[in-house]
Amino acid sequence: MDEATRVYVKDASKRFGHGATVVHALADVTLTIEGGSFFTLLGPSGCGKTTLLRLLAGFETPTGGRILLGDQDVTALPPNRRPINTVFQSYALFPHLSVAQNVGFGLKMQGIARAKRDARVDQMLALVRMQDFAERPVAQLSGGQQQRVALARALAPEPRVLLLDEPLSALDLKLRKEMQIELKRLQRETGITFVFVTHDQEEALTMSDRIAVMSAGRVQQIGTPREIYAHPANRFVAGFIGESNFLPVTVADGAARIGDHRISLAAPADPGPATLAIRPEDIMLEPGAALSAEVTDTVYLGNAVQIMARLEDGTQIALRQPATIDLPESGQRIGLRLPVEAVQILEAE
Amino acid sequence: MAERRFDPTRLPGFATVAVAVFVLLYLPIATLVAYSFNGGDSVAVWGGFSLDWYGRAWANETVKAAALRSVVIAACASALATTLATLAAVGVVRNRRMKGRAVVYMAINQPLMVPEIVTAVALLIFFASVRQFTGYQGLGYLIAAHAAFCVPFAYLPISARLEGMDATLEAAAADLYATPRQAFRHVTLPLLTPGIIAGAMLAFVISLDDVVITEFVKSAGQDTLPTYMLAQMRRGVSPEVNAISTMLLMVTVVLLTAFFIINKQTNRGKQ
Repeated sequence: MDEATRVYVKDASKRFGHGATVVHALADVTLTIEGGSFFTLLGPSGCGKTTLLRLLAGFETPTGGRILLGDQDVTALPPNRRPINTVFQSYALFPHLSVAQNVGFGLKMQGIARAKRDARVDQMLALVRMQDFAERPVAQLSGGQQQRVALARALAPEPRVLLLDEPLSALDLKLRKEMQIELKRLQRETGITFVFVTHDQEEALTMSDRIAVMSAGRVQQIGTPREIYAHPANRFVAGFIGESNFLPVTVADGAARIGDHRISLAAPADPGPATLAIRPEDIMLEPGAALSAEVTDTVYLGNAVQIMARLEDGTQIALRQPATIDLPESGQRIGLRLPVEAVQILEAE
Repeated sequence: MAERRFDPTRLPGFATVAVAVFVLLYLPIATLVAYSFNGGDSVAVWGGFSLDWYGRAWANETVKAAALRSVVIAACASALATTLATLAAVGVVRNRRMKGRAVVYMAINQPLMVPEIVTAVALLIFFASVRQFTGYQGLGYLIAAHAAFCVPFAYLPISARLEGMDATLEAAAADLYATPRQAFRHVTLPLLTPGIIAGAMLAFVISLDDVVITEFVKSAGQDTLPTYMLAQMRRGVSPEVNAISTMLLMVTVVLLTAFFIINKQTNRGKQ
């Protein structure tokens, strides 16, 4: 991995306002973004992900903490002196300039000679497949085309890090899927560190090398998509990424108890009350199993069925099964098995 | 059923009042224009169609000098006022957290609120002492005075344009290595241009027809077209004044029409 393009955020915090109206947009965030990786900041709106992105770009200065690019401290540098470029959510293309002039803007500001600039602009337009639009005014472009121009413009000065602020949110579903693949391709081909902000968990899972899940101005968990999905660190992550069942349990002797039923655990957990998290698709139907539940409802989803059931202690549980099984009737009792590798023990509420 | 919205055009007598207003506004102007083509030498008795008065006004060296002086003052004053207004607008609109924003706004719009005669007397006294101190006698006093009262007129369209401009564009320029100066030069200024042109034209027209302040501030031999006309009126009205007024009206109408067209295109560009 490339040392010079690694981003290191140490204890960064950002407060807005003062006195009684102070808002902690970011609270002591520490994270490392490896050079040349596709890193995603994922979280609901207001979680601080955009604030963190603005700190990285230099549009805001942190109230506390430091930001390093490679081994250079960039905390106090203005945006125009950081080798970091941004793709804005609204694209922010310059309406008075043509497509080619937009793409060449950063190079022009850097004082790069005309001939070299033009060559680079052509190369960038080819990279995003917009060669035929070079002389068009940007107002004549569709949303997807503007998106590509915004990408080319941000990539043209060869930044060490590219920041993307929910760039796909304005596109329709089909175009969004195409652009996801396109972005991955661009990241691989350029080798630039991508920091991608989104609230869409599916987008994050499919595109990222690593994801930081954020909530309430803090990083809740950092990991690969697989780690975050399979081993959520807390209830927020388990609930935000995919769906999860949360069952109140008591942990003792390396096992979790739901009523009289005992589920042995793969990893050690602190004794006492806890929450057991399990994905609906991980729960197995097993006739005659010790853990039983009463079916309350079934929902057909096309490629799967969702069965809603009630455990003996009254807790609601959802499980997902292939659409090929015989659907149980409402009121029928079913046996459930919670596979040990799919069970996560989280703190009690 | 929903109650119908209040609609003044449905009030009884609305049409009558509207017609009366338009007649009162435009009939005098129409009369003025009509009598500028009067063949006789009265402004009240029609003596047949003629372009005589235009010819006489055109040949009158005093009128030509005053007209030229008016244009020079208006051009310099509007250029100065527009520059100041642009800087003020960028300063005020782009600093939302600035302390005393309301005070600055009031200061900029002061010429619209203070009675013009008060400003005129104040400038007369102030410039008199400046004149004594420096010995300068030129058009600079008139240009400075006109620039001062033109600032709010130039400020309005420029600040409106700036308020409507997406601040993300300036952030994008900074992100793409533009220094604050470059961002202003390559992004803010070009996008602001329609507002600046509109502001400059408005300032030009306002300066062109000013009487009160000019009358107080001017030295001997510094008549502008409006003050020359005022002086002529004191000696009795001739249709020559009508002809000059009509030409002045034409210039104003052309400039204002251009102003509205630019404004309209600006608004369309925003959508």
